Amino acid sequence: MSPSEPKPAIGVFICHCGKNIATTIDVEELTQNMVGIEGVAFAENNKYMCSEPGQKLIHDAIRDKGLTGVVIAACSPRLHEITFRKTVATADLNPFLCEVANIREQCSWVHKDKEKATKKAIKIVKSSVEKVKLSDPLTPISVPVTKKCMVIGAGISGIQAALDIADAGFKVVLIEKNSSIGGHMAQLSETFPTLDCSQCILTPKMMEVGNHPNIKLLTNSEVVEVDGYVGNFNIKVKKKQRYVDIDKCTGCNECTNVCPAVVPSEFNEGLGLRKAIYVPFPQAVPQAYILDDQACLGLLPLACSKCMDVCEPGAIDLDQHPEYLDIEVGTIIVATGYDLIPKENIGEYGYGKYKDVVNGLQFERLLSASGPTAGEIRRPSDGKIPQEIVFVQCVGSRDPEHGMPYCSKICCMYTAKHAKLYKHAVHDGQPYVFYIDIRSDGKGYEEFVQQAIVEEDIIYLRGKVSRIFQEDGKGKEDGGKLIVWGVDTLTGKKIEIAADMVVLTMPIIPSEGIKDLAKKLKISTDAFGFITEAHPKLRPIDTATRGIFLAGCSQAPKDIPDTVAQASGAAAKAVIPLLQGKIELDPQTSTVNEDGCSGCGMCEPLCEYGAIDIIEDPSHPKKKIAKVNDALCEGCGSCAVACPSGALEQKGFKSDQLYAMIDEYLTEEDKTCLKTKK
Amino acid sequence: MTSLQAAFDADKIEIPLGQVHIVRDRCKGCGYCIKYCPREVLEVSEKPNDKGYYFPRVKDEDTCLNCGLCELICPEFAIWSTLTRYVKPKLIKEMVNESF
Repeated sequence: MSPSEPKPAIGVFICHCGKNIATTIDVEELTQNMVGIEGVAFAENNKYMCSEPGQKLIHDAIRDKGLTGVVIAACSPRLHEITFRKTVATADLNPFLCEVANIREQCSWVHKDKEKATKKAIKIVKSSVEKVKLSDPLTPISVPVTKKCMVIGAGISGIQAALDIADAGFKVVLIEKNSSIGGHMAQLSETFPTLDCSQCILTPKMMEVGNHPNIKLLTNSEVVEVDGYVGNFNIKVKKKQRYVDIDKCTGCNECTNVCPAVVPSEFNEGLGLRKAIYVPFPQAVPQAYILDDQACLGLLPLACSKCMDVCEPGAIDLDQHPEYLDIEVGTIIVATGYDLIPKENIGEYGYGKYKDVVNGLQFERLLSASGPTAGEIRRPSDGKIPQEIVFVQCVGSRDPEHGMPYCSKICCMYTAKHAKLYKHAVHDGQPYVFYIDIRSDGKGYEEFVQQAIVEEDIIYLRGKVSRIFQEDGKGKEDGGKLIVWGVDTLTGKKIEIAADMVVLTMPIIPSEGIKDLAKKLKISTDAFGFITEAHPKLRPIDTATRGIFLAGCSQAPKDIPDTVAQASGAAAKAVIPLLQGKIELDPQTSTVNEDGCSGCGMCEPLCEYGAIDIIEDPSHPKKKIAKVNDALCEGCGSCAVACPSGALEQKGFKSDQLYAMIDEYLTEEDKTCLKTKK
Repeated sequence: MTSLQAAFDADKIEIPLGQVHIVRDRCKGCGYCIKYCPREVLEVSEKPNDKGYYFPRVKDEDTCLNCGLCELICPEFAIWSTLTRYVKPKLIKEMVNESF
């Protein structure tokens, strides 16, 4: 420290955190130990330093004692660093002259011996005092924000988020990998607990998205590359060729009529057919056809081209190639939705082996008026109406051995809905439901399930199904029933049901490609691929990366009301930076001492964020130096560690600060030991 | 790709059925039509034509979709197809069974 600078006057504020810290650490002794340390002008403790009286104590002490730096000994800086820095700023002290010493997670919570823990806490706080003595005042970096948002995925969550942002007056780019928006909700028949038609409530929203002046819709597209940071993301999007010009197509269906190539329909979950040139469902948005080049007889060489010949508006262009678009946005919402676990995973229930064993989404298509059977419930094998139908819940959900350990959340409700709708369509039919527990925790949900059990004559059996197999169908008209072996744990009896059809509720998993997308966005996923939120309770919509938010089943299994609520929440969050117009970034970035830098370039490849460039030194034309882009730098410190000449330093974590901390922490004995080892 | 578990809407789907016409003596046996036919309708004949070339012949009459690629690709104008009528696709049953 140069003699011209004022003497340091550090204030130390020690928090009891109720009993969290005070039980294991002698807070009074800790406070007494701080008094008298060189440079410490004030030391005090409080039951809750983050409370209003606690914060006032800090504020007043800075004013009254003229403090030049502050150490708060409390919980992890992840929790309250921002709180305390704001408090310090209200007393006109630079917020970066406030340091949090973690004596909760790193001391009181992990130790039992009060004496030893107190000693350790003293060391932790003392070393923080040494650090803050050398801290520099820093000013946050302010960067402008691109006033546009990107929503990835156009199911109900993406649609809702896009509409809310667009209605708030901001431009939205909505990306969808399929040829139409709508997602899984477009496949559903009716929705619980009110049994209103899914299409009827979704289609108006889809139309609104298609016509909204603030929404740019990119279907058949996916994210290829993501660069930048909050406020200024650069996203490269691959718009796959559709072979049909959306603007010219009139939807006359002539192309589909003449197309000779037939494949299973994805929208109807393999229960119906489609042509190679098709529209996935009648209400699709955009209302235009798409050519599936995998199913087409051939484009190279052009084998058939009958569709092109009959297309009067000339909308079909078989020479289309993928387009790559560079899009700049300020914030991103991830709404990639879900898939069901592949049928290969559930062997013992015969899914994928017996035609009359279907999953929940397939049953939705059988119930749907726009489905392959026009809403008649018919079984896949022979098209007969099933008289006895078994619904099996928790097939692979809450089952770590065969599927997923988590609860898929919506199955209890949609099974009750399926059984009810079946009963409404087939009055003399008998539905059975095997369940472990009924989880009906939404508004009106429990009443819905109770009504199914009490009024609709649906037999609920509490227990798991052990096996499903087909009996020998020789000489039998229906080709053999599906025998369901299970147990009713309420009566303790074994159950055997000869069913015509079985519906399995398969676990919800994140949609395909989520891990890949998460990697591009630099956000994290959990063990199953669901996107991790920044905080499970207090920041359930944010990801750990600033400016990226999440909605719907990309985070965890969710029903429609929860998804819509979260999507609106994500929209509100994503609009905040756009409204602010500029964004303040953490100034604790790397900085180059240009005189010390030799331009060796070791730091450049180490930087994960592409923040370092090796440029020609403007003052010495033959010399090269490293240059840090403050807006891109995340302050990880990798470059500072690697720099052989010590020319790179991270603001807020300078080498002299870190050495001072280590020096304070080690005892004389430790130091001697280290020296002799050398 | 999604596997086909049932084809409930098969009655709504029609595909063209083509008839292949071959002028065997014009063929010079290049084999392009056999190789490039997307439905593998054709095969090489057992006996050569008068010029000594092995010409194509129809393997399965019901599989031609009248796409017209053979006509387009034949250097000798020796093969073409015409539309017979629109039919229910015969392949659907096989498609379902293949999946199970």
